[in-house]
Amino acid sequence: MERMPGVVEFTLDGKTVAAPEGELLVHAAARHGVFIPTLCHDDKLDPYGGCRMCVVGVEGSPRPLPACATRVRQGLVVSTNSNVPQFRRTLTEMLLVEHLNPDPGGRPNELLDMAEEFGAEAPFMLPDAKREPYDDRNKLMGYDPDACILCARCVRYTQEVMQCSALSLEGRGPDARIVPTHGFSWLDTECELCGGCLSSCPTGAIYEKFEEGTERPESGLEKVKTTCTYCGVGCQVDLNVDPATKRIVKVTSDPTYLPNEGNLCVKGRFAFNFVHHPDRLTDPLVRGEDGELHPTTWEHALQVAAGGLNQVKEEHGSQSIGVLASARLTMEENFLIQKLARTAIETNSIHSCEAT
Amino acid sequence: MLEELPTERTRLLDNLGRVRREVGPITPELSDAVADRMNIRRGEVHEVVSFYSFLQVPTDAVRVCIGPVCDCLGARNLLAREHERADGAPVIPVECLGHCDIAPVLMRGDRVEPGVTRRTNQGSVLGLHEPDSTEYAAFRDLPASEEIVAELKASGLAGYGGAGFPTGVKWEALAGEPTPRYVIVNADEGEPGTIKDRYVMELRPHLMLEGMLIAMRFAEAREGFIYLREEYATARARLLRALAELRETGLLEDRTIELVIGAGAYICGEETAMLESMEGRRGMPRLKPPFPSQVGYLGRPTLINNVETLAHIPAILARGGEWYAGLGANGATGVRLWSLSGAVREPGCYEAPNGSTLRELIDGYAGGASEEIGAIVPGGAASGILPPDALDVPLTRDTLREWEAGVGSAGVQVFPKRYSPLRLLAETMRFFAEESCQKCTPCRIGNRGMHHLVEELGHGRAVMPRRQAEEWLDAMVQTSICGLGQGAPFPMRNAFRYWPELFAPLGDPEAAAPSG
Repeated sequence: MERMPGVVEFTLDGKTVAAPEGELLVHAAARHGVFIPTLCHDDKLDPYGGCRMCVVGVEGSPRPLPACATRVRQGLVVSTNSNVPQFRRTLTEMLLVEHLNPDPGGRPNELLDMAEEFGAEAPFMLPDAKREPYDDRNKLMGYDPDACILCARCVRYTQEVMQCSALSLEGRGPDARIVPTHGFSWLDTECELCGGCLSSCPTGAIYEKFEEGTERPESGLEKVKTTCTYCGVGCQVDLNVDPATKRIVKVTSDPTYLPNEGNLCVKGRFAFNFVHHPDRLTDPLVRGEDGELHPTTWEHALQVAAGGLNQVKEEHGSQSIGVLASARLTMEENFLIQKLARTAIETNSIHSCEAT
Repeated sequence: MLEELPTERTRLLDNLGRVRREVGPITPELSDAVADRMNIRRGEVHEVVSFYSFLQVPTDAVRVCIGPVCDCLGARNLLAREHERADGAPVIPVECLGHCDIAPVLMRGDRVEPGVTRRTNQGSVLGLHEPDSTEYAAFRDLPASEEIVAELKASGLAGYGGAGFPTGVKWEALAGEPTPRYVIVNADEGEPGTIKDRYVMELRPHLMLEGMLIAMRFAEAREGFIYLREEYATARARLLRALAELRETGLLEDRTIELVIGAGAYICGEETAMLESMEGRRGMPRLKPPFPSQVGYLGRPTLINNVETLAHIPAILARGGEWYAGLGANGATGVRLWSLSGAVREPGCYEAPNGSTLRELIDGYAGGASEEIGAIVPGGAASGILPPDALDVPLTRDTLREWEAGVGSAGVQVFPKRYSPLRLLAETMRFFAEESCQKCTPCRIGNRGMHHLVEELGHGRAVMPRRQAEEWLDAMVQTSICGLGQGAPFPMRNAFRYWPELFAPLGDPEAAAPSG
């Protein structure tokens, strides 16, 4: 049978399977039902091949190769059997012997999940496992170096995605650590507190600092998908809601979400507190005869607003009205408001403060 | 001064070295200033600065070698004495300074103490006793490329840096690759016990430069680089002078040869880590394949050879590969420089046949053992640790395979009986842990774990069962990215085999590991 252009066949644990030429082996295997564990791999980042959890046997190679950095080609013969399971268990044991604090902030810890799956335990703790604690005066993100496995996903995220200098992989040998550049506070680096490093961390070493009394493991939260209200990009977010209090505890996003691919900015990730603020308007208000604002229904409020606009239009003409749209509206909402301006109000004086 | 710094990323290490020499140790402020000048992100420059041992210490620091031979001969006392002396300059312990022939040794700034004495022999190939000359006879009379490859293959020459890859095959692999190509000399000698490249560069730099020039013409490379470790101050001065002399001969034509100075990182002797270092990044090895002959410096095909390897090539081309091959002993081909140090009467660096036995080397060149021999490291930290039983084994790749050891860089370190193999092993594993770049798990943690295991054994405690320790070693050999992690387990495995009584607390090697 003729092969489709750009598609190759390779052998995965004895079965012949097809994949686009050049696809990363870890992805191709997953599509064919073979899950290969990874820790340092992140689809957003260039292949790194550091943690070695994903090594697989490849025919013709004297040593196993990392599936996260090996690309599929015609005739590749891959095995995840033989000694690969043993390597996974041993490498997990290794990572555990310096993993002093597996749960600094309630975020998921993929290393612990693997330890459970592979039956790996730390045979001892390294005497030099303890790293210098990092205490930052910023109010949003915490970092416990004792939960870090040096996969450098966070550092690579800052360099490859954010193009910033917030984090560094510092030093060499047992002293090597990941730290905001020069060990400064994040507030004194180029960091914009987007929290992308946090979202990329597989062990929860970087975590959200919670409001007093709201700490809760991420697994105990309910996710509500919505659109961020902060700007017109329309980032898709998951509000993580505490089922007991019905309050938002944190905001996350998923790499599969468009248009932001799981990336967020400081506002989208951290500035959700307004939702629960007592001053927040939850009902439309209309000013009464007494000069005070009174809660009312949307129908009534819109009638009052429409009536006012119509009155101005009749008395002074449609060119007397200009429309100023908020920068926090989405593109779709901006479209609707210009439609309203041009067809109902009949003015072309429309502006958004995003333009300034 | 900042305005004078070139802004190409490849100049980063050079710039940092210059700032350190002319301004002082690289502080966060200086690091950021260099980053801003070169338009590199500040965090990345900090990553590079902190990767190397020397950029954050002043140039007048006292560097005390704690390599295994120095450790055996009293380095810890020397370190303590220097700490007491403390006249303002910081005192730091460093891994092998490459002066094992005068151990224990330290460097006060660029000055080596005690003073350098070089013991060597004339030999039949390198002639380290001869005056260096700019004759370049082999280069002036160079045969066609195919013939060069044929002679190199016939000579049996294999890289003397430690990996032992056949040089002819390496050169041939470059032939089909597109130009431009680069040639790099690996002069980052840092393998404990190994001093041979320093001898070549200090005594016969033109021999190496001639080999390099031949490599450059073969590779049609316009640009060549010599990556020299920072600690070799004398070699640096000799090379700079030799380069000036070479320029005067006109043989360079439109080619350039540049000296790149390291900043204290053993791993930069690994060829892909070296490329990263030269490109202004942390010296962390790349994933292979691709190999440097396809994707090397700045992504171009690159020929990388060790100093000594290149120094042999003029003689091979002048007198023929077969002649060279015939110089070997016990079935091996050619000769090499053996660094002999430790418990021998005349430590030094001697040209002797490949395939020589340890006894021939120790008695025939180094004046015999100075004490009863307890253990021998045949060729650098990862080459293994052999018992005195191995004294009459010819040192070839094949014979040593049976001993689960290697010839490596031929840095033969002889340890007296009073120096415990456990101490030697602990120092060796500590060395690997310190010098690990920290990129891959098996090397980063495996070496620290093995160091911990050996240290605890010294107190009679077992941190994990023998079988599990062997699983760790296997994972290190099989899944580490580069030769550091892949090679580090060999001394451990040797010690298990040759000194089993030391490991009795770990239990039966056949018993299943708890996780298994």
